[in-house]
Amino acid sequence: MKDSLVLLARVPAHPDSRCWFLAWNPAGTLLASCGGDRRVRIWGTEGDSWICKSVLSEGHQRTVRKVAWSPCGNYLASASFDATTCIWKKNQDDFECVTTLEGHENEVKSVAWAPSGNLLATCSRDKSVWVWEVDEEDEYECVSVLNSHTQDVKHVVWHPSQELLASASYDDTVKLYREEEDDWVCYATLEGHESTVWSLAFDPSGQRLASCSDDRTVRIWRQYLPNNEQGVACSGSDPSWKCICTLSGFHSRTIYDVAWCQLTGALATACGDDAIRVFEEDPSSDPQQPTFSLTAHLPQAHSQDVNCVAWNPKEQGLLASCSDDGEVAFWKYQRPEGI
Amino acid sequence: MAGSQDVFDAIVMADERFHGEGYQEGYEEGSSLGIIEGRRYGTLHGAKIGSEIGCYQGFAFAWRCLLHSCATEKDSKKMKALESLIGMIQKFPYDDPTYDKLHEDLDRIRGKFKQVCPLHVSFDS
Repeated sequence: MKDSLVLLARVPAHPDSRCWFLAWNPAGTLLASCGGDRRVRIWGTEGDSWICKSVLSEGHQRTVRKVAWSPCGNYLASASFDATTCIWKKNQDDFECVTTLEGHENEVKSVAWAPSGNLLATCSRDKSVWVWEVDEEDEYECVSVLNSHTQDVKHVVWHPSQELLASASYDDTVKLYREEEDDWVCYATLEGHESTVWSLAFDPSGQRLASCSDDRTVRIWRQYLPNNEQGVACSGSDPSWKCICTLSGFHSRTIYDVAWCQLTGALATACGDDAIRVFEEDPSSDPQQPTFSLTAHLPQAHSQDVNCVAWNPKEQGLLASCSDDGEVAFWKYQRPEGI
Repeated sequence: MAGSQDVFDAIVMADERFHGEGYQEGYEEGSSLGIIEGRRYGTLHGAKIGSEIGCYQGFAFAWRCLLHSCATEKDSKKMKALESLIGMIQKFPYDDPTYDKLHEDLDRIRGKFKQVCPLHVSFDS
């Protein structure tokens, strides 16, 4: 099992600082990293090695917590503890800050682009989730401020194909939002985690959502449409979400991130015990009650907490991870035989 | 004999009776004090909410007047958001403090205000 995750490269991405988050561009050719040094770095390959292509240093006054590429790959959004979100436009290898989104009262924790590229979501320690609309002139306008969470909102993620938004919070819940008559509304609250929910990931179909938490579990939630065959109750025309699987007993500390590979369906986790783990769904298990097997476990993937894992969107099995030790590592994941 | 039994009873039960009376008196005084304190708190808190919402309403009315003269597509969007804020403020139940969605509605109004708040930035530029 040990050989199923092989180290390809390791780079000191944010020396003497923490590396918080990673994002692959849609083409899978560039990786953006951000960290406590207030910088965003863009990584690409040259021959066999990963090199830093650009550094985005002017923009934020404090830690950059998350980054996100637009679906077209021409823009990068960075969310910072300085309460702002910067939008960077890519010109060849250069990035220029074209807009700074202000409005949150304090630390912006996450940013995510909708699949259409016309909407952007941000969330903050001020407990709110903001939805922004982008027009043709690259102008951003806030279309909704959602105050559904009762605590710090840690992460936002969009459904892979629909305009549905999910958020995870320190209030131990996950909330789902959709548009309704020119405004956004929270239509579902997923309760079950016993502590902070740190991150979320949709499966390739968007029918299932994985959440990871400080309670050391990963939960898999499944969407049930009204009048579903399984008889799961829905209120009105909104789908309801039910927890169909809990991965517990695998992690010994807080799970900070979960990534669902859009190509293979493999599920990777980043954990506070310095390890990276990969799970695969057992093909013979009941889709209503799936079971997952641990197919890779790398105990000392980093020397400190692993903060993020990210699957390359184009190259199967290429996984990037980053840590409090400031490093970014690239891994090759090979599905073990017999699964 | 029955009479002297009553006398003894009265003595034996005195403790309980006085305790009961004392409790009753204390309870009444406590509740009247509680009502006064509650009323004072309610007035204060209600005034706070009223002044907050009043401020939003004044803001929204002023911007609606200012935007009336402009008629670009962008302004109509802003107008829509303002109208929606005004609608929410007008629907807010000022005379029913026991309305169970009071805080939920208040949070929605605050959210809407935050959404339209940056309007003036683009208006100036």
